[in-house]
Amino acid sequence: MGNMDPKALRMRVENISTIPTIPSVLKQLSTIIENPKVSLNEISHFISQDPALTTKILQMVNSALYGFPGRISSVNHAVMLLGLNVVKGLLLSVSVFEIMHKAMIGLREHSIGVAIVSREIARKKGLKEPEEVFVAGLLHDVGKVILTLAWPEEYDRTVREAESAGIAIFDAERNQFSETHAAVAGWLSEKWHFPKKLCECIANHHRPQTSALAPLETAMVHTADVIVKARGIGYSGDRLVPDVSARAWETLALSEADLRGILKELEDSVEQATEEFRA
Amino acid sequence: MPKIPVEQLRPGMKLARPLENSSGMVLMAEGTELTEARISKIENMGIDSVFIDGPSRPARPKEELLSELEARFRKAGNSPPMAAIKKAVREHIEAMYG
Repeated sequence: MGNMDPKALRMRVENISTIPTIPSVLKQLSTIIENPKVSLNEISHFISQDPALTTKILQMVNSALYGFPGRISSVNHAVMLLGLNVVKGLLLSVSVFEIMHKAMIGLREHSIGVAIVSREIARKKGLKEPEEVFVAGLLHDVGKVILTLAWPEEYDRTVREAESAGIAIFDAERNQFSETHAAVAGWLSEKWHFPKKLCECIANHHRPQTSALAPLETAMVHTADVIVKARGIGYSGDRLVPDVSARAWETLALSEADLRGILKELEDSVEQATEEFRA
Repeated sequence: MPKIPVEQLRPGMKLARPLENSSGMVLMAEGTELTEARISKIENMGIDSVFIDGPSRPARPKEELLSELEARFRKAGNSPPMAAIKKAVREHIEAMYG
């Protein structure tokens, strides 16, 4: 099979709703979030029509991961509190959560871990919207889910190649598909009109130095990914810690005490979240 | 924080998360110290287990976790940042065993 034609790869990814193995919830979702003019009301309406989706969104915003004071019992309230940008990302996260778990066991835990660490770094660095980095962390590996759904056999081969050759999953992906999960998710998030910063975090989390619009946020997601892999929480396609980008590391300037706090937060929250999302 | 089955709850333990009923009403606040009376109240509510303050003890031996840590870092460079991350994780793992 070797290298795939990048253009054909991109075409297929951007038209995921025509791929038979893509679950219907993702197809419906893509039609709604693809629309750049979608309003908060329309999003609320879309979620409210689907009881399963409503439950998942409310479960997520009421989980210890968010920790809003008091209970949020309506979709309208949740959408207003979080805003369009966060809700779009969250919608995709809750929809892919189950699929994620089936696509690659451990990817959900890894993603929750990266979300928690990204937000913790964002808080330590005084970022105004730590929740946006949290969503970027949740979604940073969504490209792996898309690749697994669109090319199940090829992706399976990719994971086995990474394992047997002892190489990183993104290198194995490049060998197989000529592009990585990060690029794949980047194309989709652009097509879905995700906020620019979110697109960059997702597309560049393996090369944060190339981020133009969101170098700080991308450095956070990148570093969070390295820290979660170092701690060995979840599974994301290989069991190797990739090198942290020197520039990202310098930008964030995390102290030893910061790292200690981050690891503690990671340990506690992942344990809780895994309980909550066990279903 | 560990999730402790109700039958293993002892007076003096503290709730790490608020105890809520199915509609989200808080029955006991986070940080509540358990007493015999509160434990039987929890039992009567039909709750199986609750989150308790304090570190969870990992299910596997420390040596196993540390050797996996080494294995995960086998392809990583030995730049100062990677050394700092690895050291922090090693100390974090060691601290979990007290």
